[in-house]
Amino acid sequence: MSWRWFHQWGSPRWFYERAGRWQLVCGWLALILLVVGSLWGLGFAPVDYQQGNSYRIIYLHVPVAFLAQAMYAAMAVCAVVLFVWKMKLADVAMQAIAVTGLAFTVLSLVSGAVWGKPTWGTYWVWDARLTSMLILSFLYLGLIGLRAAIQDPDQAGKACGILVLVGVVNLPIIKYSVEWWNTLHQPASLKLTEKPTMPASMWVPLLVNILGYYIAAAYLVLGSMRAIVIGRERRASWVKELVGRA
Amino acid sequence: MSIEKRMLARELKLAAARPGDIFKPMWFLMLVISMVPLALSPDSALLADIGSAMIWVATLLALLLNTEHLFQSDFSDGVLEQWLFLDRPLAWLVGLKLIVHWLFHVVPLICITPIAGLMLSVPTDVLIALLMTLVVATPALTCFSGLGAALTLGSSRSGILGVLVMMPLFVPVVILAAGVLIRATDGSEILPLIALLGAFSLVAATLVPIAVSAAIRLNIGGSN
Amino acid sequence: MIFEPVSLNISQVSCERDDRLLFQNLSFALSSGDILRVAGPNGAGKTTLLRMIAGLFEVQDGVITIDQEPLSDRRHQVLYIGHKPQVSRDLTVIDNLKFLTGFDEPIVKQALIDVGLRGYHDSLVKELSQGQGRRCALARLWCSEAPIWILDEPYTALDITMVDTLDLKINAHVAQGGLCLFTTHQPPQSLNFETLELGCVD
Repeated sequence: MSWRWFHQWGSPRWFYERAGRWQLVCGWLALILLVVGSLWGLGFAPVDYQQGNSYRIIYLHVPVAFLAQAMYAAMAVCAVVLFVWKMKLADVAMQAIAVTGLAFTVLSLVSGAVWGKPTWGTYWVWDARLTSMLILSFLYLGLIGLRAAIQDPDQAGKACGILVLVGVVNLPIIKYSVEWWNTLHQPASLKLTEKPTMPASMWVPLLVNILGYYIAAAYLVLGSMRAIVIGRERRASWVKELVGRA
Repeated sequence: MSIEKRMLARELKLAAARPGDIFKPMWFLMLVISMVPLALSPDSALLADIGSAMIWVATLLALLLNTEHLFQSDFSDGVLEQWLFLDRPLAWLVGLKLIVHWLFHVVPLICITPIAGLMLSVPTDVLIALLMTLVVATPALTCFSGLGAALTLGSSRSGILGVLVMMPLFVPVVILAAGVLIRATDGSEILPLIALLGAFSLVAATLVPIAVSAAIRLNIGGSN
Repeated sequence: MIFEPVSLNISQVSCERDDRLLFQNLSFALSSGDILRVAGPNGAGKTTLLRMIAGLFEVQDGVITIDQEPLSDRRHQVLYIGHKPQVSRDLTVIDNLKFLTGFDEPIVKQALIDVGLRGYHDSLVKELSQGQGRRCALARLWCSEAPIWILDEPYTALDITMVDTLDLKINAHVAQGGLCLFTTHQPPQSLNFETLELGCVD
């Protein structure tokens, strides 16, 4: 890893310009994948013999739920980069991911509820996975609230970094304890029966969609990172120049 | 006098100078407990069923209430920044403060839970289990809420943000404690779970002060 | 008491806060016997510089050393008195000072007499007037073993007698081989100090 590379990543202007191009690539790629995957999954994949058509929500729910958790881990990586290399861009990424991550968490809760109504007969059950997801959304909310309460962006970033690191250590403990809690209370009647292995015609579109949502998430994160960079650098000459041109 | 003795003497005197901080959370706990039969029903069988869980949640809230401003006055008086000039790691001093806080502000809360238990007709063996879980679990809760207090030090309009930020991290502790209470009701073995809770508290008490001291340094760096 | 010779080195220190450059490539060195007044208009970065040297504000660019060692190893050789009261309102004067200085009652009581707070040792800090509270914080100078004093606006809220007493104390301190940095808007008459003017960056 050359120092030049490292230096470029520290430059907000360099990032802003490059990220615009990456965003374009990600946007088109995500659009194509999501259109293909969703049409395939919703229109052409076979009907599930147990759940009928309602299972098709997995083409939204599963990728979104994956992302909700992966994004918290991504924030933890950013926090480490922020503390070890003092790279401000890592903090920008953390801020962008927190909001996007919350959006995905809420989307996965809502899509879970929509699927729960026909399957379980109710929008909400205290299922282990739903409960963990709910707690994850509280963790994201806490991060956004903490950042909003602290005026100085550098200080807010470090405070969020501490919280993310403490959170990421606790996350597996939370997950396992919630699973254990679920067995403690035995809501067996609502348990989803073990599915037989999915046929390829079902999981291939799912895979396409997972990839599509990951790239869409990158698109969203890059977009909000660019907005945050512009906001934080609003007094810098290159931003004034840019605004002047536009 | 060693720095540790000075810290302890100061914390004890501060606790004695602010008796309200000790009694208000106890008062809060008793009020919440009194609301339960009023909101639910005075039926003692029903109360006994949910009593121990209610007491746990009420104690948790009372603890949060009095830990929220743990570092606030020391921070705004500028005494907290003087800690950095003492010849000891900040995390160690923070740990001492948390221990004293637990002894003087949390243990009194635990001491009145048996009265709350009687009011909600909690059976004696469950009550004993409840006391045990509170003793071993509250150190972890104190550490985490101390971290919430430290993270939000610098923001003047944080309100109860520290509590909101830390609440999700309490989940494993609450679940383990609930497990103990359920087993105590069934009459099965509770000691392994108590030990697990104690282990959680020990790990929290060794690691969280490091995060707290980082948060304090951060806020001192940002203030004038 | 005579201090070991001590030196404070500030080299190439810059500071940017809220997108404003406060000072850039600031370098100077102080050693035993020096008094430095940091001057400049409001918002020039005086407090920030003092807090940086005290190790309370992270040095973003540049190096600050005490006797060629990093600041963090020499914290206990620094005495910092800032804007904030530095004492707890709910404790007595003597309890506050015993905690902050680590000295026993007789020494602390003598310090209180020196700053004109005789008979106030058992008062709570919240019962004192603003000037008396300031005297209480400054009493630490009379029972300090730290060679490096960093005083942010020490003269605020003091009456004329106390200003003279403080000048005498600072002179005595540097005569013993200590060094002192301070900020003030009214330059004291009886001190022999150098001035560092901040706020000339733009």
